[in-house]
Amino acid sequence: MKFFEVVRTANHNLLRNKIRTLLTVLAIFVGSFTIVLNVAINSGVNSFIDEQTASLGGDNFIMLMPPGSAEMASSMTAKNGPIEFVEKKAGEVEIGAFSDDDIEKLKNIDGIDGDSFYAPRPFGGTGYFASNKTDKKYEIQSMMILPPGNFKIPLAAGELVDQTDEAKKKSQIILEPGYAKALGYNNDEDIVGETITVNFKNEVTGEWFKIDVEVAGVEASGVVSGSMGAIMSRTFYDKLSDAYYAGYPKDYKDSLPTYYIMATYDTGRFTEDEIKQVITDAGYEAWTMSDMMGMIRTFFDAIMVVFTIFGGIALLAAAIGIVNTLLMSVEERTREIGLDKALGMSSKRVYAEFATEAILLGFWGSAFGVFVAMLIGTLVNSAVHAPGGFLEELPTFQLFEFTPWNILPIVIIVMFIAFLAGTVPAWKAAHKNPIDALRYE
Amino acid sequence: MEPVIEVKKLTKVYGKRSTAFTALKNINLSINPGESVAIVGKSGSGKSTLMHLLALLDRPTSGSIEVEGIDSANLKNKALNKLRNRSFGFVFQQFFMNPQDSVLENVVLPLKIAGVRRKERKKLAEKALRTVGLSNRAKFKANNLSGGQKQRVCIARAIVGNPKILFADEPTGNLDSATGDKVIKLLFDLNKKKGVTLIIVTHDDDLAMMCDRQIRISDGKIVKNTAEKTKKTSTKLTKGEK
Repeated sequence: MKFFEVVRTANHNLLRNKIRTLLTVLAIFVGSFTIVLNVAINSGVNSFIDEQTASLGGDNFIMLMPPGSAEMASSMTAKNGPIEFVEKKAGEVEIGAFSDDDIEKLKNIDGIDGDSFYAPRPFGGTGYFASNKTDKKYEIQSMMILPPGNFKIPLAAGELVDQTDEAKKKSQIILEPGYAKALGYNNDEDIVGETITVNFKNEVTGEWFKIDVEVAGVEASGVVSGSMGAIMSRTFYDKLSDAYYAGYPKDYKDSLPTYYIMATYDTGRFTEDEIKQVITDAGYEAWTMSDMMGMIRTFFDAIMVVFTIFGGIALLAAAIGIVNTLLMSVEERTREIGLDKALGMSSKRVYAEFATEAILLGFWGSAFGVFVAMLIGTLVNSAVHAPGGFLEELPTFQLFEFTPWNILPIVIIVMFIAFLAGTVPAWKAAHKNPIDALRYE
Repeated sequence: MEPVIEVKKLTKVYGKRSTAFTALKNINLSINPGESVAIVGKSGSGKSTLMHLLALLDRPTSGSIEVEGIDSANLKNKALNKLRNRSFGFVFQQFFMNPQDSVLENVVLPLKIAGVRRKERKKLAEKALRTVGLSNRAKFKANNLSGGQKQRVCIARAIVGNPKILFADEPTGNLDSATGDKVIKLLFDLNKKKGVTLIIVTHDDDLAMMCDRQIRISDGKIVKNTAEKTKKTSTKLTKGEK
């Protein structure tokens, strides 16, 4: 009863000076709004990455690298400054690559499947896809081999390559979304089982070569799977690689260093962190699927941190606004406080009323912020999924995700900040001497 | 009859050491239930300080104030607040209302502080407004009333909790004589008909003479107490009864 009385009185007092209250609430609103939108977009993106990661599979996949390569990969620039050049002796393995001994040692690590080791040699150059349905040629933007592991790339049509021993002998490819139509087929289903050509230029001879390949499937749209590139079967990759390296010195291909090894590990015995520790203890480095996804996440989180800091600064300014508003209010209501106290109101109650006013300001500001953020977030969500919107192809991607678990804490934290801001004015009001307050002009 | 307020050797000093100023010196005073008492004196004489001490708004430097036989020095803040809320009513020269609130809301304030339920509050406030003759103004904004009406609202606020003692600090100071007279009549009606003890601080001699007793303060001392004899007898009687 008394609690509601205090809240009612506080609310009543706030409504006495509507403009000032509104401006203070607006200041809190700006901060809360920014933070709510940030949290929502962060939540939305992370949920989507989770969903994509889960749909990708590969939880038993592990990438093995020589020491220091993870850091190298994260920064290819001379961030540590210039390094003096020292010529390597003949036969010395390039730093950052595996030697045969290394590979043998890794194969014998308990928990790592030695049979799964796979280290395709990367090659560059230019190439294009073509079919007999159209004269147009389409640039090959990126191609990869399905790494060992229980990957289950989401497909719009067809089946994944290399899934059985029989399939491993087939020369097949999985195309990225959009290529079926480009290559002259009606839809993704139509191109499955058809043969197209992959054309590459041999950098040494300068001549183009052409290899037939069967389309095994088409990838589904998705941020992660869509960015993987076309997926080659191992048989097709070998053919392509042989043709690409034809004309190079005889032993060139075999003398290329091995920079990374793809493998699988026993998920029944090791967690991601445990197997990484085993590899680290052996003197190497390892990446799991979470690390790969983590790179996307880290980048994204960094942006979010910046925006959350902006929101925090806005909230800080709003908190100072609360202090100001309430101090003015205490000054204005000096006589009223004096009267209240003369009539027997306790200092505690005076304190409670002012503190409640601060908390209410925080509540209205953040509630208003949540409401408008949700409104705008929902509108943006439907706009980007509408035809022509930039997420039209990704119906499961909620750009802004609002849940009680990401919204309620914000409201509570903002109310707490408001309470902290209100303590000084509330203390000042509570300690007014009734006689002085009544004399105050 | 036991006095409602009994003051012994009351001294109030403001400030410390070199800047010390003695506002009240060794005051002895006793006020009986149902009495009307005027505290008069020039400004700076100490009459306001005396009223503040009697109303327990301030604590004395030395001496004791007993209200209904209870020594206020023994009361903690909480009990003091409660005593003021239940037993005292206040009427001030400058009204002290919340001008944006309705008349009813202003009158209800002491009950709100006491924690009386809403329904009961409204009932009591309406009764108090009837007593001061402002029943039809309950919903008005306090600011829209005339000076005399404002002071009557303040009287309604002062009596809404049915207090035993009414403190009035220059109740007519901000009113013209015609409206002032109405307010005075109201105060004395309450005193005569309901037996409320009335303590008026004023420099208006006419108003002071209407009271049963006049206490004149000068330089922090009582220089005249018209009912000193009565007071002494009553004190003796009290002591004799004990």
